[in-house]
Amino acid sequence: MNTVTESMFPLNGCGLVRNEPETVNKIPGNRAIWVGIFAELTEFAMFFIVYFIAKAHYPEQFNQGPLQLNTLAGTLNTFALISSSYFVAKSLAAIRVNNPEQSIKWLWRAVMCGAIYLIIKVWEYHWNVDQGIQTNTNKFYTLYYYMTFNHLLHVGWASGSLIWAIFGLKSGRYTQKNHLGLTAIACYWHMVDLAWVIIFPLLYVLR
Amino acid sequence: MFNTRFKVRLKFEKLKTLDISWIMLMLITLANALVAETADKSLFITAVICFSIAFKGRRIMDYFMELNHANKTIQLFMRGYFYVFPLLIFLADLFSEPLAAITAL
Repeated sequence: MNTVTESMFPLNGCGLVRNEPETVNKIPGNRAIWVGIFAELTEFAMFFIVYFIAKAHYPEQFNQGPLQLNTLAGTLNTFALISSSYFVAKSLAAIRVNNPEQSIKWLWRAVMCGAIYLIIKVWEYHWNVDQGIQTNTNKFYTLYYYMTFNHLLHVGWASGSLIWAIFGLKSGRYTQKNHLGLTAIACYWHMVDLAWVIIFPLLYVLR
Repeated sequence: MFNTRFKVRLKFEKLKTLDISWIMLMLITLANALVAETADKSLFITAVICFSIAFKGRRIMDYFMELNHANKTIQLFMRGYFYVFPLLIFLADLFSEPLAAITAL
């Protein structure tokens, strides 16, 4: 059976997920990471529902709030997260063609993007305080700080997991034929990016 | 020989898809930022932003997360999330007063 499978699919050897028999139509990574991903998305869903209700009750605060925020910081953070997701996807493609060195380089780039995100966020919070925007200024800013700080924590520990994956690649724990752990970490990172895809327009764009 | 050429072609195909997705996502983000800075509040703008959220989410899920080849249940829940929430954003804007009325304490 193994021989047939390996002859039908060049096992992890072409950089494409659709040629990975252990991944196609299966749970990417492992079950545990998907329990975590759905739990996190449920948490963010709660925030979004609270946002809808608060916006309905305080329309003026939610209309004026985004105008006072630093759109440049929000946009740069979106660029950083989208780029990091792209780098993680490239890293996975590289390990599939048995190029761990390249895979590590892409992961470092993703970690750099995570660090840039954290630096911009800290700068943005300082900028907010200088403008007089505090956690208790009004309901919009309370939600803004709650959502963005929560997301920042996720970026922090997900960056840590990327560094863990780099050490996994360096030590040979993740290889061309066995990199389900790396796939799981990549899925988690993409989930953090997906949450921001909703948070950014809610807080910075929509009024 | 054929196998090597096949692998190289597939690798190129993969990289092309990822690169195009990245460029598209960056451009949509830039357009969103432009809307944030210039556009006035309107239902049409909300609809456009909701559509951009759904599109960006789907692009990340299908091409970066590679869910278009994954387990169908995971696909269903993840894609559903990015259809339901953009729709809820629009509906919450459209029916803000009834929403405030039914959630008043």
